[in-house]
Amino acid sequence: MRLMVPHPGHFPALKDIIEAKEAYGLKEVEGVYMGGSPEVMGSGRGVLHAPLLAEIREQTEYAHQHHIKMNIALNSPCSGGHHLTFEGYKTFKWYFNELNDAGVDGVIVAEPYLVELLRDYPMKTIISCLAYVDSPQRARFFEQLGADMITVDTNINRHFELLEAMVKGVSCEIKVIVNEGCLYRCPFRYSHYNLASHLSSLDQPKSPLFAPDFYFDKCVNIRLREPAQLIRSAWIRPEDVKEYEAIGINSFKLSGRTKAVNWIINCMRVYSRRSYDGNLLELLDCPQMLRYIFYIDNRQLDGCIARWKSCSKHCHECGYCDELTREVLTVIK
Amino acid sequence: MKEEISAGRKKLEEELRKNLGNIFVPEAKLFGMVCGCVGFAADMRGLKSDDVEVFRDSINVILEEISNSLGVKPEFIYARKLPGSDEVVTLTVRELCSRCRREFAGSKAAPRPDIMILKKWR
Repeated sequence: MRLMVPHPGHFPALKDIIEAKEAYGLKEVEGVYMGGSPEVMGSGRGVLHAPLLAEIREQTEYAHQHHIKMNIALNSPCSGGHHLTFEGYKTFKWYFNELNDAGVDGVIVAEPYLVELLRDYPMKTIISCLAYVDSPQRARFFEQLGADMITVDTNINRHFELLEAMVKGVSCEIKVIVNEGCLYRCPFRYSHYNLASHLSSLDQPKSPLFAPDFYFDKCVNIRLREPAQLIRSAWIRPEDVKEYEAIGINSFKLSGRTKAVNWIINCMRVYSRRSYDGNLLELLDCPQMLRYIFYIDNRQLDGCIARWKSCSKHCHECGYCDELTREVLTVIK
Repeated sequence: MKEEISAGRKKLEEELRKNLGNIFVPEAKLFGMVCGCVGFAADMRGLKSDDVEVFRDSINVILEEISNSLGVKPEFIYARKLPGSDEVVTLTVRELCSRCRREFAGSKAAPRPDIMILKKWR
């Protein structure tokens, strides 16, 4: 297992993460990733920190001293066409040059044009899950564009046949995100990430939003009304990582760069150790508030992966996750 | 309680104005969170992170006084900035639950890059 860990962006957080990795001997932790400058591009998540190039260089040097790779996320799925203007082209070329000079190991992107631009650099081109790569064909397209690694659309985390076909269908590496708690086949996914892209960049809407949390609130409400959606989400238990290794996936990513440092460190420890006793919702990135309302006993989920591996995903006919929800999920009083 | 919150909002605004000019506190509230934390939070306008660094001690004294008047133990005091800028938009005093003592306030680093820790419990 090689684990990529979220980094909120401020240097003291990186030091805490690396200190914990070394103190606990977590050799599985291969690197960290953080957002780039919102002046260049937004990101799939809220941006809480805008690192200057000098800071990226300093942090990258520190990470390398500790044998940790540094990746920069520029994974906005929408930049409003800016990248296809001469000004945008020059900005991205300049920024990629600077990141390369700073020693950055990889750049995470969702936009196909940027994948091609990155061909000119030795930095690894990592395809974001926000490129929604969910088939061997799409993976092949991105590989041909220049991808070194593809983070698959989390919607297919439990589609083992597809994952296996993707591993076999491309030469580049396939990576999965383990702790994303998004709704399976979420109807808001594209809209929400497009909104986040704009709100985390300088390309803001012209007038204030009357409901900036529309998608998030809908997402939480759906699960409060139908808790089985929590079970259907595409999270991967620490104990089930081995099932992915068995089909040739060895690269795993933790989600959560907007979360508190100690929460990140805890997830890093749990997934490195591949074992966890407690509320599974404590490990999921989003929406985190549900851990105060529901308790999903991780131990009771032992073996469920076998069913999900061969699941048809015809939820209206199956009912397995509904039944499982009744067994493993309790409402916290 | 109503009087204490109103007086706290006014006091914070007045004290900051003495040193920093046109500071505005549009809203102050006592809150209780699902995790068990309780606290006092004041929305700020006109305050910058440099101001908070320079006047950290006096800001802490004011916030501790307000939170004590509301029955909140001032265990963790912090400022929240607008991400990527030096504008401080909230000053918060929190009496921590056991989870947040460990997870939110337990790291050597600030828990998030938009948060400036002003004081931690001893």
